[in-house]
Amino acid sequence: MIEVKDLTKTLPNGRKVLDGISFKVKKGEFVGILGPSGAGKTLTLRCLNGLLKPDSGSVIVQDGNGEKHDICKIGKRELRQVRQRIGVIFQGYHLVKRLSVLENVMIGRVGQINTLRSLFYGFTDEEAEEAVKALDKVKIAHMAGNRTGSLSGGEMQRVAIARAIFQSPTLLLADEPISNLDPSNAKTIMKLIRPLSENIPVVGVFHQPEMTAKYCSRVIAIKEGKVIYDGDPKLSNKKLEEIYGEELGQLDQYEYSQQPSMVEAEMRLL
Amino acid sequence: MTSSKYSFKRYRKLIIPVISLLVVAEGAAIVCGATFDKLFTGLTRGFSFLAYMFPPQWNAFSEMVEPALQTILIAFLGTIFGTIMSVFFAILAASNISNKWVRFIARFLIGLERSVPEIVIILLLIAAFGLGAMSGVVALALGCIGMIGKLLADTIEELDSTMLESIESVGANKFQVINFGIMPQIMPNLISYTLFRFEINIRLSVLLGAVGAGGIGYELDYSFSMLQYHRALTAVIVIMIMVFGTEQLSSVLRKKFAGEGVLK
Repeated sequence: MIEVKDLTKTLPNGRKVLDGISFKVKKGEFVGILGPSGAGKTLTLRCLNGLLKPDSGSVIVQDGNGEKHDICKIGKRELRQVRQRIGVIFQGYHLVKRLSVLENVMIGRVGQINTLRSLFYGFTDEEAEEAVKALDKVKIAHMAGNRTGSLSGGEMQRVAIARAIFQSPTLLLADEPISNLDPSNAKTIMKLIRPLSENIPVVGVFHQPEMTAKYCSRVIAIKEGKVIYDGDPKLSNKKLEEIYGEELGQLDQYEYSQQPSMVEAEMRLL
Repeated sequence: MTSSKYSFKRYRKLIIPVISLLVVAEGAAIVCGATFDKLFTGLTRGFSFLAYMFPPQWNAFSEMVEPALQTILIAFLGTIFGTIMSVFFAILAASNISNKWVRFIARFLIGLERSVPEIVIILLLIAAFGLGAMSGVVALALGCIGMIGKLLADTIEELDSTMLESIESVGANKFQVINFGIMPQIMPNLISYTLFRFEINIRLSVLLGAVGAGGIGYELDYSFSMLQYHRALTAVIVIMIMVFGTEQLSSVLRKKFAGEGVLK
């Protein structure tokens, strides 16, 4: 279970990017966070595993032993300990490209073994076998020895999922995991993530309402740092417009206002 | 906008820098007393001196092998130790892994090292360690930090921050992030910079030899001061073979370990 309470964050320039975000996710739920660009979706997700410290609020997560920790208040050492059991899938290409697929999966557990052993890549045979099993679950075990840089975007995201499975996480976070994938790959990735939510809470940030409607069990919409919707994943058109509408309007305005100055800039170059 | 006005603007961009460069060059030549006249007399004298050095003293060749090896070993050891220190400094100097103040200090030390020529370092080291190979090795090792440290720190800073965060996000500590995220990704650059520095260090090692680090540089200096010009030419030939050989070797190694395919 993960419990987010009253997260706030103000940027140095005075812009309030998170303005009292609260929600709870139980195990068995696959929550999709939607919202226009710059609404604070990714920032919220980054708060959930301590990559970002909010100005106030709390994020309570359970570790492997069932103990509760407030991610926003714990020290570095404890944070590392909690993170060992939080799987994170980022938006594409965040793997170490020059290491093999298997090594990338093994990275999932570097936090759990001691530093000296990890410096020599000293994983045991059992750990290697488990890593291969994790790769098998995402159906790319035959690529274990390949260099990760040679994989396609969809395959890389599968490796990322395998890495998260290998962590045996108590919470899974996904930051726009399908944003740079083609529709069929995106579906495959969603199909692989969904069953993981049977035993643990899964929270993901998405840009595709049609995908969250199909695969998520619940949707949270964030706009201007506030939760404006929390409930059924199937959103009506009216609701979607409410979430995304204004952004489209701003986009049009932006394009028109930019055009004259672009011309001016080109003239100056001559 | 007429086309003539347009083309004038275009040419202005070319003509003004060229003319100002010529003016500055002429001014500099007058100040330091370099004239074409001197260039020609100097060149003729140089060529006649070279002709005078011929033929090389072939039987001195065997005496040169050991000093040449010593020069190569000084360069080799200096590069190895220097690279290890450079990696250390580069990590401390990279903004995405290091703390602000540590970074500032490491960048300052790297810059400081770069501003001191190797020849000054070795003169200081000779005072400390005395004449010999030790001073040469330490001088070359320190010399690496300014270059490899800087280049590597920039390479690390260009690494994908999401990639490093993603390793941090599984609970890895700094050492583990460096070991799994940074080291494998910078390896091709590291090898490439090291090989390049090795080529430079071979030439520097010859130079430092003449100042007191021993090796082939010492042989060259000694032959010149003893007026044994034929022997000196032998040393020059050995040096040329050495430099050419290491450059070939390093280009083969670079292709193998730091080529296009490896960078992926």
